[in-house]
Amino acid sequence: MSAFLALIRASFQREVEHRAKMLVRILGSLVEIVARVSIWQAVFSGHGSMNGITLSQMVTYALIGGTILSSWDATMIVRDVGTTIRTGAIGATLLRPVGYPLMLLAEQLGARFFDWLLISLPVIAIMGFCYGLQLPASFGHGILFVGFLFVSLAVLMLTGILLGLFSFWVFDAHSLEWFMRGALATLSGGLVPIWFFPAGLATVAHVLPFSWITYHPMAVYLGARDLASSALYLVAGGGWVMALGLAVAFVWSRACGQVVVQGG
Amino acid sequence: MRDTLSLLLYLMRLRVRTRLEFRASLVIAWAAQAFGYAGVFASIWLIITRFENIGGWTWPQMALLLGFHTLGYALGACFTLVQLRRMEEIVLGGEFDTLLVRPLNPWAYLVFSGFNIEYGGHVLLGAGLIVWALPQIPIEWDVETSILIFGALLSAALITASMLTMIGACAMILGRARYLFGIYFDFWELSRYPASIFAPAFQIALVSVMPLGYMAYVPVSVLLQRPVAYLGSAAEVAALAAGPISVLAAVVFWRFCLRRYQGGGG
Repeated sequence: MSAFLALIRASFQREVEHRAKMLVRILGSLVEIVARVSIWQAVFSGHGSMNGITLSQMVTYALIGGTILSSWDATMIVRDVGTTIRTGAIGATLLRPVGYPLMLLAEQLGARFFDWLLISLPVIAIMGFCYGLQLPASFGHGILFVGFLFVSLAVLMLTGILLGLFSFWVFDAHSLEWFMRGALATLSGGLVPIWFFPAGLATVAHVLPFSWITYHPMAVYLGARDLASSALYLVAGGGWVMALGLAVAFVWSRACGQVVVQGG
Repeated sequence: MRDTLSLLLYLMRLRVRTRLEFRASLVIAWAAQAFGYAGVFASIWLIITRFENIGGWTWPQMALLLGFHTLGYALGACFTLVQLRRMEEIVLGGEFDTLLVRPLNPWAYLVFSGFNIEYGGHVLLGAGLIVWALPQIPIEWDVETSILIFGALLSAALITASMLTMIGACAMILGRARYLFGIYFDFWELSRYPASIFAPAFQIALVSVMPLGYMAYVPVSVLLQRPVAYLGSAAEVAALAAGPISVLAAVVFWRFCLRRYQGGGG
């Protein structure tokens, strides 16, 4: 456990070292939020509300969904795994006293916590001041949202690690990364909430784990569900986390058998 | 000059042949990248399906805009992105010093020897969207329209190549410059939507200091006979001229950085 926490801390500190990069990422995130909010302002200009959702709710969705619950950078895990395999660094990685998937998780968590604290929160504060930010629908919804936040993080990280581990067989992490981006772009509800999907696609998207990354947490935050139903969705999200965790453990056990280290 | 050109073409051919050694991987990469973009475009389609339009732009019009944006970018990025994104490593690792003593322009060597055919998915998706959208939009076809379409795509490719060159050139002065590509892509994503939906400051930026508005929004607006804020009747000429002007700016900036380059490797 101490090694796991040390890796998280090291990853966090590595991110802190690059201050210029941090400022550029804040600027980039501000631009992205402007784009998202502008789209919703443009489409809502002729409508008071759509499916019971107002512009003000969609602005909040864009602000939090585009920062804390954003999915784009998670595909970097896949790239990292691919690089580790391609360069042969996986050999040295296997000698470490922490399992590789756990190490990946810790490193990504450190980077993500940095992202939340030093990029997402300042951007939410700035853009919330400019466009207005709704608070959680109730205290209970706020508490449940914190739970959803960790489920979202776990689903995102585990999906990335699972897909990345397939690089042991396909050797083309770059393509896996793009497939993941495409799936997450739509099915996580990152840009467009599942409320606005056609019925058939919405039914499928609702039950897939990707929707726990952005859509379900935001639906709870905005009070689109009552507390009992929200709690059930949180339990279902926990179920997906367990299933993905087991899948990662299984694939990793098989992947270890694929590694042949030469030289030394 | 002729020898240089044939050498550059030879370098390109070598690169293409190398990549074609792994054909299945290449086709999967094309499919994967097209799928990645299609996911984002599907989100835009979903918004329009529900709300009918984005800022007055219907789906066929948006498809044309996205097609122009994707195809123009791919044509420019296949010569520059992967090659110049490595400038930081090339400079810090000392490889750039070895390029400077070769009897060939270092930029030309980098760009042509790294010609990337992995943009096939982008090209197919972009061209496919344009081919699908054009018949559904009432456009009066004449020579001027054809010149605008092909000229604007070429201009978009030149803008992409120029901007990526300028960002890559920063590595000669700053050393670490890879993170600057992030800000380019943030604005690049902004430019896939009609600029008219953004605040005036962003609209002005997209047609001036960050000329990504000329990649798709300005030429497609001209094709659709939509007014373009801040450019008015000059929009058509501006769409065609933006590429060559950005090339001139990139040449000046690259030379400026090269003059100040003092070696970054050990």
